[in-house]
Amino acid sequence: MDTLVLGISTSGFNLSFWVGVGVIAGIYAIVALGLQLNVGFTGMDNFGMAGFMAVGAYTMAILTVDHDISFWLSLPLSMLVTMGFGLLVGLPSLRLRSDYFAIATIASAELIRLVAQNAQGLTGGNQGIFCSDDFSRCYDDAWVKVSDTINGWFVDLGMSDPPSALPLLVVAWIIAILLTVALVRIQSTPWGRVLRAVREDEDAARALGKNTVGYKLQSLVIASAIAALAGWLLALNLATIHPTDYEPIVTFFGYSVLVLGGLANYWGVPLGAIFFWVLVEGTRTLEIFESESQQVALRLFVAGAVLILVMVFRPQGAFGKREEMMLGD
Amino acid sequence: MTEAAASAPAGAPAESPNVLEARDVRRSFGGINAVQGATMSVRRGSITALIGPNGAGKTTFFNLITGFYKLDSGSVYFDGQAIGGLPSYKIARLGMVRTFQITKALSRMPVIDNMLLAAPDQPGESLFGAVFRPLATREREREITEQAHELLASFNLDKKANDYAGTLSGGQRKLLELARALMAQPRFLLLDEPMAGINPTLGARLLEHMQRLRREEGVTFLFVEHDMDVVMSHSDHVVVMAEGRVISEGTPDEVRADRKVVDAYLGGELDDVSEGGE
Ligand SMILES: Nc1ncnc2c1ncn2[C@@H]1O[C@H](COP(=O)(O)OP(=O)(O)OP(=O)(O)O)[C@@H](O)[C@H]1O
Ligand SMILES: [Mg+2]
Repeated sequence: MDTLVLGISTSGFNLSFWVGVGVIAGIYAIVALGLQLNVGFTGMDNFGMAGFMAVGAYTMAILTVDHDISFWLSLPLSMLVTMGFGLLVGLPSLRLRSDYFAIATIASAELIRLVAQNAQGLTGGNQGIFCSDDFSRCYDDAWVKVSDTINGWFVDLGMSDPPSALPLLVVAWIIAILLTVALVRIQSTPWGRVLRAVREDEDAARALGKNTVGYKLQSLVIASAIAALAGWLLALNLATIHPTDYEPIVTFFGYSVLVLGGLANYWGVPLGAIFFWVLVEGTRTLEIFESESQQVALRLFVAGAVLILVMVFRPQGAFGKREEMMLGD
Repeated sequence: MTEAAASAPAGAPAESPNVLEARDVRRSFGGINAVQGATMSVRRGSITALIGPNGAGKTTFFNLITGFYKLDSGSVYFDGQAIGGLPSYKIARLGMVRTFQITKALSRMPVIDNMLLAAPDQPGESLFGAVFRPLATREREREITEQAHELLASFNLDKKANDYAGTLSGGQRKLLELARALMAQPRFLLLDEPMAGINPTLGARLLEHMQRLRREEGVTFLFVEHDMDVVMSHSDHVVVMAEGRVISEGTPDEVRADRKVVDAYLGGELDDVSEGGE
């Protein structure tokens, strides 16, 4: 976050500022890819992404810091735990009508955040988690080494002072792109076709022998695994895990990215993420107001206005198909 | 029939010549007894019509026996197997496939995908198969794509194969839904007013199709229909429902001559006339 703050004072092009924006955009591309699977291709309004991200990040940190498990082992373990939470949230709520499902997911995400805030012993409460009490272990130790190695390569390549977040930018976007490719491919299989049928009409899918609840559960569990990825990256980016990092606004930003990129298209998502965060963070460079709080209000105002304009003039977003948008029931 | 019965395993109720047996099926919604004790059977290989005035409970009965609504009480057997309480998708997989009175086209999917979705035994429909069995998936996809195009052609929908199903007309959707149900390779097909909104030429084609499937593949049909000419000329058995009960059944001629049936239909009409201020 420090890099972002620096960006305000410096005018003109500031590499480390834009690298920071790129990291955030990469993380939100991943969040919105999970949303795309649920919302765009299964017709499930999952509003619980922030909660799943929190589970992924906290589990990773608790395993490494409190239980001295290796960072690399903590990743698959915490992903499994997050998928378990996806199952737990999905089982009772997936049979609900879609608007109730949306409420159930946002409620469960808030529940997770509130538990994180109050379960002092487990999560550090409002202090958050970073290192063990004696500072002998921090959850990002292993990552810092990798990060230094990668930045060493950039130095070897002739970069004098690579921004500290550059390795995270590279990793976040490699994950985002690989995930996009994987999702595009799996969507084009008969499995993906059943998901779309569930989106269109669950009764019709059932009448043709599809276990619709089973497919919705799979969709939600995969999205929670994707949320775990985003949760780790956010934790590595902020270098601390804190309940306020997982408020519902995180999920809403994910939805904004989804709308900008276009529903039911995976390739639009990374593009939407870049567009959204360049818009929100880039407006920092417009120094219209004196005070910081006015600046922040202006940025969110601009982002909101652009979102509304897109909905009005290009409801299909960057890559969605307008024809699909117009075909209701 | 008797030969089949002799070779069936002893004790299995599959010896019955009936593909469907519903006994004392009941369901109410709040105070409305939509189906209040319906008992009927459908003979294997028959084309059976289910008729009755509006609100008689025909669609509700369909929903009950196909697992879309929970039974309040009663039992349902498909080919001798108790299916009351089974989830709808399992009933469909057993080969008992239904269509809907109000069509359910998968609007934002191409017509051809609507068809492919219905085909059974596609290994790529499981996540595991989709990832680890791409060859088997592709092979099956080729087979069913060919089948789908043939079926679409027989319903004059082949030119629409790549259009979104949501762009079809009401009648075309009805045809697509029927073609899609056939893709599922049912042994027993339940059609809720398949002819409604379809032009007479295509309607006749649809009826021919039913006759041919019954003849060549032994598919059994149960269909709801309000057009008495169609019912009388194309079904070999007729079941009549009124006010949530089965009030009569038999051959078209028997049913036509049944006083109760005439009353059920005319009774409603006479009430209407008298309320109209005669
Ligand atoms: N989900 C429901 N909730 C409440 N009432 C219902 C429901 N489904 C059906 N009913 C009621 O049950 C009765 C039977 O309806 P049903 O749709 O089965 O009639 P139908 O014989 O199919 O009529 P039609 O020929 O008009 O299609 C009606 O009075 C209807 O209002
Ligand atoms: Mg009906």
